[in-house]
Parts: sequence; C-alpha cells; structure tokens
Amino acid sequence: MSEKDPFDMLRGGPAPRPREGARERALDAALRSYDENYSTAPQGTAKPARHTGRTTRFWRGFMQTRLSATPAIATLVALPVAGFAAWQLLGETRFGFERADVPAPSPIVETEAPRARQEQAASGQAPAETRVAEEGEASRSFPPQDQMAAQPNFATRQPDVVAAPSAATPRLMRSPTMAESKLMPLPAPEPMAGAEENRDRLQSFDTNPVRAALENPVSTFSIDVDTASYAFVRRSLKEGILPGADSVRVEEMINYFPYDWPGPQAVDTPFNSTISIMPTPWNEHTRLMHVAIKGYDVQPAQKPAANLVFLIDTSGSMNAADKLPLLKSAFWMLVNQLADTDTVSIVTYAGSAGTVLEPTKGSDKRKILEALDRLDAGGRTAGEEGIREAYRLAEQNFVKGGVNRIMLATDGDFNVGPSSDEELKKLVEDKRRSGVMLSVFGFGRGNLNDQLMQTIAQNGNGTAAYIDTLAEAEKVLVEEAGSTLFPIAKDVKIQVEFNPQKVSEYRLIGYETRALKREDFNNDRVDAGEIGSGHSVTAIYEITPKGSPAQVIDDLRYGEAGTNNAAGIANADEYAFVKIRYKLPDEDVSKLITTPVTAANEIASFDQASADQRFSVAVAAFGQKLRRTDATAGFDYDRIMQIATAARGSDPFGYRAEFLSLVRLASALDGGR
Amino acid sequence: MATADEDIAPDGLLAARAGNGDRAAFAALVERHYDFIHRIAYRLTGRRADAEDVAQDVCVRLGRAVAGYRGGAAFTTWLYAIVLNAARDQMRRNARESVKAEAYGVQALVSAGAAEEPDDATEALWAAVRALPDKQREAVTLVYGEGLSHAQAADAMAVAEPTVSWHVHEAKKRLKALMRARAGEV
Repeated sequence: MSEKDPFDMLRGGPAPRPREGARERALDAALRSYDENYSTAPQGTAKPARHTGRTTRFWRGFMQTRLSATPAIATLVALPVAGFAAWQLLGETRFGFERADVPAPSPIVETEAPRARQEQAASGQAPAETRVAEEGEASRSFPPQDQMAAQPNFATRQPDVVAAPSAATPRLMRSPTMAESKLMPLPAPEPMAGAEENRDRLQSFDTNPVRAALENPVSTFSIDVDTASYAFVRRSLKEGILPGADSVRVEEMINYFPYDWPGPQAVDTPFNSTISIMPTPWNEHTRLMHVAIKGYDVQPAQKPAANLVFLIDTSGSMNAADKLPLLKSAFWMLVNQLADTDTVSIVTYAGSAGTVLEPTKGSDKRKILEALDRLDAGGRTAGEEGIREAYRLAEQNFVKGGVNRIMLATDGDFNVGPSSDEELKKLVEDKRRSGVMLSVFGFGRGNLNDQLMQTIAQNGNGTAAYIDTLAEAEKVLVEEAGSTLFPIAKDVKIQVEFNPQKVSEYRLIGYETRALKREDFNNDRVDAGEIGSGHSVTAIYEITPKGSPAQVIDDLRYGEAGTNNAAGIANADEYAFVKIRYKLPDEDVSKLITTPVTAANEIASFDQASADQRFSVAVAAFGQKLRRTDATAGFDYDRIMQIATAARGSDPFGYRAEFLSLVRLASALDGGR
Repeated sequence: MATADEDIAPDGLLAARAGNGDRAAFAALVERHYDFIHRIAYRLTGRRADAEDVAQDVCVRLGRAVAGYRGGAAFTTWLYAIVLNAARDQMRRNARESVKAEAYGVQALVSAGAAEEPDDATEALWAAVRALPDKQREAVTLVYGEGLSHAQAADAMAVAEPTVSWHVHEAKKRLKALMRARAGEV
C-alpha cells in the first residue's frame, strides 16, 4: 500500500449507470431551458422581427464574448485560455443570482428573433419575403442615393443599435434575471457592468437594393480604404460566433486584401482604374462590373518627411492584454520603420490629457520607444482634450509638403468630456483644413465605438483600422505604412452612369455607408475617401443585362417616356460610363477621370478573370453571405472556398490562407448553408 | 450536411452551433455528455438521487449557458466547472436540510443510499473524500477521480494551479489521518 499512491484507487470508484428515466427527464429539461432562450417567434412578422433580430442578434453575439481580454500572443494562436478563468468567475456569479426560487424567465427580447431568422433562412419561400422587407426597409430608412457617408447620422439611427452606455443595455439584457434574484445580494455593479455588457457601437445600415437603370441610372459613392470590418469579422468567427450583419461592411472586407491591379506609370496621374465585365459566379443571368483602382506607389526615396502624433487612450479600460500591451507592440514596430528625419510626439488622455513625449526626431528612436514603454493605463477618458492637444502639437511641428498625421489609438468611447459626438466631428472637420490628418486604430472589444471611429477617420481624412492581433498590427502599421501614411489623392468619388439600353438593373456590393448624393459628385466641398501610396480599392456592381431572365423589377409601362438619358441612346454599345473625381493631397480643386465601359471590357468566362479579380469576388460573396444578402443565399460556402482556393496566388503574407480558414469556420458555424 | 453530422462533430463545434441557435446541435451535445455529467455528480454527492438532480440541474443550466461557451478551453473543462457549481449548490441545499450529517461520520447510511458493495475500500475512501471541505473534495475528484492534471483541474475550478496542488496536498493529509483512525478502530 505504501509503494504507490493509495488514492489512485479513486479513479475506478463506483459510479452507477444513470437510470434511463432520470436521463430522459434531464434531456427534456435541457431542451426546455434551451428553447426558452432560443424561443421560436411566429413567422410572418418578418419586418419587425428582422429588425429586432438584427439588433439583438448583434448584441447577443457580443454579450457572449464579454471578457475577450486575451493576451496578444494568445490571440495570435487563437487560444484565449487566459480569459477563461475570469469567465469562470463570472459564470459562478451569474449562476449565483439566477438561483432564485422562482426560475428566471427567459429574456424574450433578447432571443426570439435569431431563431426566427434562422428559420427564415432555412425555409424555401422566405427569400422573396426577405427581399420585399429589405427593400421596404431600405427605402424607409434612407431615400435612394442618400448622403450616409458625408454625415453618418447618429441622431436618427442611434437608438436602434447604440444602447446608451449603461442604462439601456442592462434593461434589454440583464434585468430579467436580476429582478428575480431576491435571495442573493446583488454583485457589485461596477466590475460586473464593465465585464458583462458589451457596448461595441456600430452603425446599422441596410444592404444596397437592386435598382432599375432606367429610373436611377446614376450611382455615386465615396471610396473606402478602411479595413476595420474584416478584422472585426475575423475575431468574431475565431471566437465561434457568426458576426452581426452590422459589423460586416463588404467593401472593407474586399479592400482588406492587397491586389496587384495595374498601377499608373507616373506621379502626375495618381491612380489607374481597370474595369472588367465578367459573369457572376452566384447568378448565371447577371454579370459583375469590377472596378479596380490602384494608387501610385511612392518610392521610398521620394517619401516626404512625416510628422506623427500618437494620441493614445490610456484610460483604465485599456488595461487588458489585447489593448495597451498590443498597442505598444504595434507602435513599437511603426517607430522602427521611421526615417531619422521624421518626428514623433506622444499624447495620452486619461483623466487629463498630457504630452508624454515632446516632438522627437526619428534619429532618437530610443527616446521614443522608452516613452512608449512607460505608458500605463488608469483613469477615465477625456478624448476631446486629447485631440485638441494632439492637433496643437501637430500644427506646431507642421511639415510643409510632408505627412502630418495624428494616429489615434483607442478601445472605444474616447469622448467622455463635455462635448457631444457631433461637436467632436466638427472639431475634426475644422482641423482637417489645416492639413493635419487623423487616423483611428481600434483595439480590444466590448466597448469599441466603431461608429465614432469611422466618423472621425472619415472626417479627418484618415483611415480606420481595427487591430486585434500582432499580425494585424504589422499589416496595418508596418507593411501598409506607406499607404496609411502617404496620401496620393483625397476626396476620391466614383460615379457610374448605367446605360439602360444595355443594363436593366444594377446593385452596388457594399459601400452602403459611403453612398453620396448624385449632385455631391461635382461639389468639391463634399468630403470623400483618400487613397494612399500603393493602395488598391475595388468596387463591384452586380448588373443585369437588358432582357436577362434575372431581372427582378418589372419594366415600366411608360418607362421610355420618363427617361431623359440621351447619352445612353447615343452610345448604345456602352454598359456604363465611370467617372472618378479626386483632388491631389495639397489641392482644393478636383480633377476628373472618365472611362466608358464597352464590350472591350468583357471577360467571356469567370475563370478567365485574373486570380486577383476572382479572389476579390470570392470575398464579396463571403461578405454578402455573412450579411445574409438575398443574392448569395443559394451560393454555398463550398463554392466560395473553391473560387478563393483557385485564386489564392502567391499570398506571401498568408492573408488569403487566413481568409480560407474563416470561410471554413463560417461554414461550420452556419451549418454548411 | 448541416444536420447529419451531430454524432461525430467535435464538442466545441456543436457548442458553437448551439450557441448560434442550432437546437439539434444542442440536443446532441447534452445527450453525448449526460453520462459524464452524471458520473462526476455522483462522485461528488455520493447519492444516486442527488446525482440525478445535479445532472438535471446542469442540463438546465447548459440550455442557458451554452451561448457563453467561447471555445477557449476544452468543452469538458468548461462543463466540469458547471457541474462543480451545481454539485456545490446541491450539497448546500442538503446541508440546509441537515442531511449532511449522513455524509460525515455515518458511512453506512451513505453507502446504503448508493453503493452496491458497502464495505469496499474504494467506496469507503470516496465517502471520506465527500466529507472533505468543498474545494478539497473538488480537487481530489478532478485529479484522482477524473485523472485531470493539476493545471486542467485549476482551469475547471477557476483557481491557480498551485492552489489545486495545495488543496490536493491538504486533502491527502486529512484522508490519511482519517484512514489511519478507521484502521485503528477496526
């Protein structure tokens, strides 16, 4: 007995087989409890259900991922083990206050819709209904060709998605259980609230509808080189959750990947556009009009000096492994890329804004890195003060003809000061005229204000990116430092006029939040997106050729009389006429590039398109599937895999391989649909 | 293919699907793990009726909690944690009804409630284990009963690994003393 561990015999200890009756009762109880959480909503209430569905599905998705405070390295290997212990504690507490004698009723608001949605997706006749609802919603929430991009309207959409930080969310999500917890003392509200609520804010938007070329021949939008949405989607999928539709901006997913579009030869034409018409993989009766734009790649020798101000959120909430520590690593990599003549300043904001590092030359890297290293999290966020201080430093150190940019890093609502979001937006707009640009980098999750990030970056002539792993930090700040840092054209707008003689219907894939009014195209005062050195931007239209059986909108009986489209008739062979307007970085008057799209742009079969084109189409299809867009409902993940695999190319950084793994994950999570 | 693979799909995937509203995935998941849940529940409580109650309680909790499984740790580790919580609650309820008296000294009663061979040394040891304080009992059950490493047990108990080692150490000291005392009586 003394030789081996006497307690080893516990391993084989008795454990009688469970009795069949008990087993069945337990399984029944499990399903009842599950159904209470995922209760079935009656079908037919498509519109309201869809709406709530989208919102709450989104919330639920992120509620599940509270405490994704995982170390940067762990995130890299997609193994958030560290968060587990914390989760466990939470779980205990949560069970604690569910333990009232009265069983907690299921929070109906939260959960009935996702189920309804799933059924809708599964049932055969739903798509038509969904389409109707979708168009109805689209026309209700913003008239055709709305001005979403110029003023992302907080005021009107906010109540839908953006639960006010602590009042609305608990009411929606938590009070059913809280109300019943009579026996247990309530847990301390502060840490719980911080940990359990997810307060990511995203702007909600509807997918672009199909438009009849005869009625709306002109489509106008601002380009978008942001990539935040892809990183957001990736993080969600890696955590085993299908991302909410509002977090999926298809154009940002497409533009996340580097493409080798043919670029311009000389500096005086800042970019080149390649337009192709190719068959649609998900619909044999339609075509894709693929617009690929590539910016001029500034050679390192010609790079202008940079004056960078790091504006870093060091509020208490940044004290998580995937926030401040990741941020430090990210900026560390960037600083190592800088030339000796560049300058860096660091401003932090927490409690009160302060300059941590006065403008310092790139030749003194050590001093910059030490300042970065000393950053510590604590206190509340005072964003406006911080932004003002950052602009002051940037202006004080302004490099004429160089790059003057504030790089704002935050985990969320950096605007706790007295000012409203609207005032903050105005401030950024004002300062843009001084020539200082502002880019925003989002970190962490749970409190991320994606909506404000987008607005500030758009209005500050900068980009918004979401950084969730060290690899992403490297992509955004190091590999793409050229394009993020050195703009070659600003206020780039695209206007496409379709020829109703050739195209009966069209639909712009993505760019919903970047739509411009038709008249804004020629108005140089209207702000639009920037293109940086070597950037590529891709926009894809799905078009229905005249007479195709895929047409979904009936011809107008009196349609011909209503058309005033003389150009279309004069150039009957053209599909469309693409106009691109841009300004050089230091100019105020725009220039125009026009390209007619004719039969010469046609590619006979999808397989003949270039690998990059096919890959971008696969990403577009994937984004649309995640948004549950009707057009790709019958196009399964396997086909996306096939196209993307065949079009993977050399993929030196492994971005495309990662995309393939995301498609596999989504396919598994979505039950292979 | 979405509905056909429930029997072979890995736990983590089923849990993720269940969290996204897939009822069949959830049913398959609970079905697969019921025996596992029952076994630990029995080892912790030592009575068939309690084990069944705890197992059912765990199933109900799973219906609510599966959406919170995030794939970070192994599904079973996550499940251990839920069972431990549920069993602890059950023991507390029992204690309130002053049933715990049974679990202490009166080993005969415990055995009568459950075991086929009341005089078995293993069963006697288990009875002693059940008399340990909560954390020690859980640590011994996971480490010796389930064969988990101290690190895995630490994950399931949401404590640090050295804490598990310490609980195990304390538990062994107590159990040895108990067994010596009993051997002396016989």
